[in-house]
Amino acid sequence: MLAAPRPRLSSSRLLAVSLSVVAGGLLWGQQQPIEFPHDKHVAAGVDCIDCHSGADVRSAATIPSINKCMLCHERLANEGPGVKLLIEFWNRKREVPWQRVYRFERAANVKFRHAPHIRAKIECSACHGNVAAMTVAQKAVEHTMGTCVSCHRQTQASDDCAVCHF
Amino acid sequence: MSEQLVPVSEIQSTDDNVPRWGMAIDLDRCTGCEACVVACHVENNIPVATEDEAAMGRSSHWIRIDRYYEGTFPDIKVKYRPVLCQQCDDAPCEPVCPVYATYQNAEGLNVQVYNRCVGTRYCANNCPYQVRVFNWFDPEWPEPLELQLNPDVSVRPGGVMEKCTFCVQRIQRGKLDAQAEDRKVGDGDIQPACVQGCPAEAMAFGDLTDPESKVSQWAGVGRSTQLLGELGTKPKVFYLEKSD
Repeated sequence: MLAAPRPRLSSSRLLAVSLSVVAGGLLWGQQQPIEFPHDKHVAAGVDCIDCHSGADVRSAATIPSINKCMLCHERLANEGPGVKLLIEFWNRKREVPWQRVYRFERAANVKFRHAPHIRAKIECSACHGNVAAMTVAQKAVEHTMGTCVSCHRQTQASDDCAVCHF
Repeated sequence: MSEQLVPVSEIQSTDDNVPRWGMAIDLDRCTGCEACVVACHVENNIPVATEDEAAMGRSSHWIRIDRYYEGTFPDIKVKYRPVLCQQCDDAPCEPVCPVYATYQNAEGLNVQVYNRCVGTRYCANNCPYQVRVFNWFDPEWPEPLELQLNPDVSVRPGGVMEKCTFCVQRIQRGKLDAQAEDRKVGDGDIQPACVQGCPAEAMAFGDLTDPESKVSQWAGVGRSTQLLGELGTKPKVFYLEKSD
């Protein structure tokens, strides 16, 4: 009878530790399921828009589905440790749970659209840093309202509140 | 009812290329079906109040249908009037905001900036049309209704004032689509949800400075009036009164 609470205590402690590890990973936002090397892909001649498709015509610059990764990796470069992990996800018919790096907090009430920025010939690196030199994408540029407004003013884009906040 | 005090032909824009958005509503066509109210709720992520909340005056609608009964049964006439933010040129809500969270933009929209609003509710108290609604609490949707939220519109937190935006997200999208296709925004390209949802086609939306637009044509007819126009608010919503 006395021994009974012990395993319960240790399992709850284990749960607490594992939860804090997961929460820590989410907070940092950099704990990706696979150490994705952006630099290697850019060096191989892959454009940002090839994987993050839709950015030029729609609001969101999507995170690619595993189908897109496997378009190439089914045949090419399927030896490395990262790609092996990818293929594991693929064989289990699962998406890779990539973590988003950039997002506006909900309280900002901002509705951002990529397409008009790409049409205005703003380089991806202007807001996302030099991802071509990064392995795992890091948050290189802070997206504050100052960042947005100063660029909007320099390029004579509208600085009306209703352009972004609605 | 009030007469039209600012003829549509006198509405000017600051710049030739800048439109001045307005609406015309034909009360002859309106049947009071409230399809506009439903369309507005769906488009703009407006929570639906419970019976208890409504009893406390906390129901939130960006557009409502006012009913007027004339005569006694069975000789009765009913008139329905959809009332939304009138996007006044001289808006009483604007000067009272201590934090500049509501202002008139170049296109004549009476903009509400949610993240600037601190919830003094002065604007709602000063609005003669009572079309501003305050979020007393963070909005909640019963599962799984949170999945149908419109991603193009933010969900406003508690403590913030909100109101009809003339579906500014659709206006922005219409302008960007036109820009992508290298053309001008045509009349009828942009439709707020209420206009699109109206089965009787009783509402018209467009640029009031374009004399050819449907809204200018409607707003220019003889039975066109403005709601409480005598207050000097210069509303940009025109009502075409019922012809007997």
